[in-house]
Amino acid sequence: MRGLWATLRNAFAEAAAKPAALAAQMFVMVANDFVWVIFWVLFFDRVGDIGGWDRDRILLLQAVLTAAGGVSLGIFANARRIGMMAVGGELDAVLSLPVPPLSHVLVRRIEPINMGDLAFGVVLFAVVGNPTPQRTAIFVAVVLASAVLLTSFLVLTGALAFFLGRSESGELGFHAMLLLGAYPVDVFAGAVKVLLFTVVPAAFVAAVPARLIDDFDLVRAGELVAIAALFAMAASATFTVGLRRYTSGSVWTRA
Amino acid sequence: MTRRALVEAVRGAAQRVIAAPGGLGVSLAFYLVIVGVLSGLWRVAVENNGGDLAGYSAVALTWYIITSESATVAIHARLIADIGDDIGSGAIAVELLRPASVLGLRVAAEVGRTLPKLAVLWAAGGLLATIVAGAPPRPVALLLAAPSLVLAVVANLIAQHAVAGAAFWLRDAGSAWFLYLKAVFIMGGMIIPLELLPNGLQRFSLFLPFRAMAYAPARLAAGYIEPELLLQQLAWIAVLSVLAVAVFSAGERRLQVVGG
Repeated sequence: MRGLWATLRNAFAEAAAKPAALAAQMFVMVANDFVWVIFWVLFFDRVGDIGGWDRDRILLLQAVLTAAGGVSLGIFANARRIGMMAVGGELDAVLSLPVPPLSHVLVRRIEPINMGDLAFGVVLFAVVGNPTPQRTAIFVAVVLASAVLLTSFLVLTGALAFFLGRSESGELGFHAMLLLGAYPVDVFAGAVKVLLFTVVPAAFVAAVPARLIDDFDLVRAGELVAIAALFAMAASATFTVGLRRYTSGSVWTRA
Repeated sequence: MTRRALVEAVRGAAQRVIAAPGGLGVSLAFYLVIVGVLSGLWRVAVENNGGDLAGYSAVALTWYIITSESATVAIHARLIADIGDDIGSGAIAVELLRPASVLGLRVAAEVGRTLPKLAVLWAAGGLLATIVAGAPPRPVALLLAAPSLVLAVVANLIAQHAVAGAAFWLRDAGSAWFLYLKAVFIMGGMIIPLELLPNGLQRFSLFLPFRAMAYAPARLAAGYIEPELLLQQLAWIAVLSVLAVAVFSAGERRLQVVGG
């Protein structure tokens, strides 16, 4: 555990070593996220409420999604690269270390640009989320659960590359999850809605957490924790089993 | 530079895309997820507003979205960053040795790379739109939408090269592609028709080239027979071409001075 903390601290130090570049990249992502806020404001101002969703609730969803995305893609940046590393044979360095490979890979690299997501999500919640102490505590808890789910899903889809021999599954999973997670889930019906709660659990990444902040429900919170834990176990198992099929690419990276 | 060199660049790039259908399949899956979700959202919005939003019906908006998204998803998303990397690393210096325009050949190759994807995406999108919403509002308008889609892609690719040319001075196009894409999102009408923007923003978009990259073909596919949109696209292509040539000419001179 101490080794992992040290690795994470190093990753942060590495990102912070160029403060100007870090600030510039964070600014770009904040601007990027702000465009989505503009879109949703324009959309709901024009069409009114849809399926119980209005402007305030969708902005709360965006706050959860960007904050959780910031944790997952910013702090556990390699989650998105598992598939590429598996196919490219770039895991040699980590396999020689006396640490759990998946944990080490996840904390090894910080993605500065996605730290902008985290900052944006927190600020957006502070501005539009009516942050009472109780709501803030729920916000922090659901963002962490959502980040675990998102990271696990990325590792799971990325680790499929060990078996498929191609890394596109991870990238497709990444885009599908973030794209679908950004929409108000109640707008959809039938098969699409079932998909959002199961195979691509995008509803649990942002819509369900956002609803918990507005209207906390113990059963729904338990479902969120359970689905996050389920995907975490599935991701860990898939990566571990997949490693047996790993072929070195003779590429010595810092993984 | 001969026309033959450009034609060969387009054909060679197109053949490479067709020869690797795996990448095409991934793009198609991604595209179908996007248009399925986004058009679904707009259909619900139209139904909530009595079946009409700024003149668009649910069917028209579905055809709008499948067209605007195909015009943008078909293009390599990180193109600006990749061109910037080639310039920043000096790799582009090798291309300066050829007796042909670096910009011309690069744009031609990207057009070739994009067109097969565009055809597949738009065809699949049309099928999806027909299944989930209905037949195109005015099928004859698709005859204008098809060439407009090609012009949209050309305008977009030229503009991306002009933006990426900043790397000649900055050594890196950085994350400019993020901001560029987001400009196309809203001001280009990619995810929201320009008629639904507030008046001020709508008027502002008239003076920007982004409307030529998504809105024009999408508006036509939605059933509005407005041939002047194609003329606007041609005009923007001319303006963007002059800009891109100026940026690359100045940049290439600078690269030669620095040494690549």
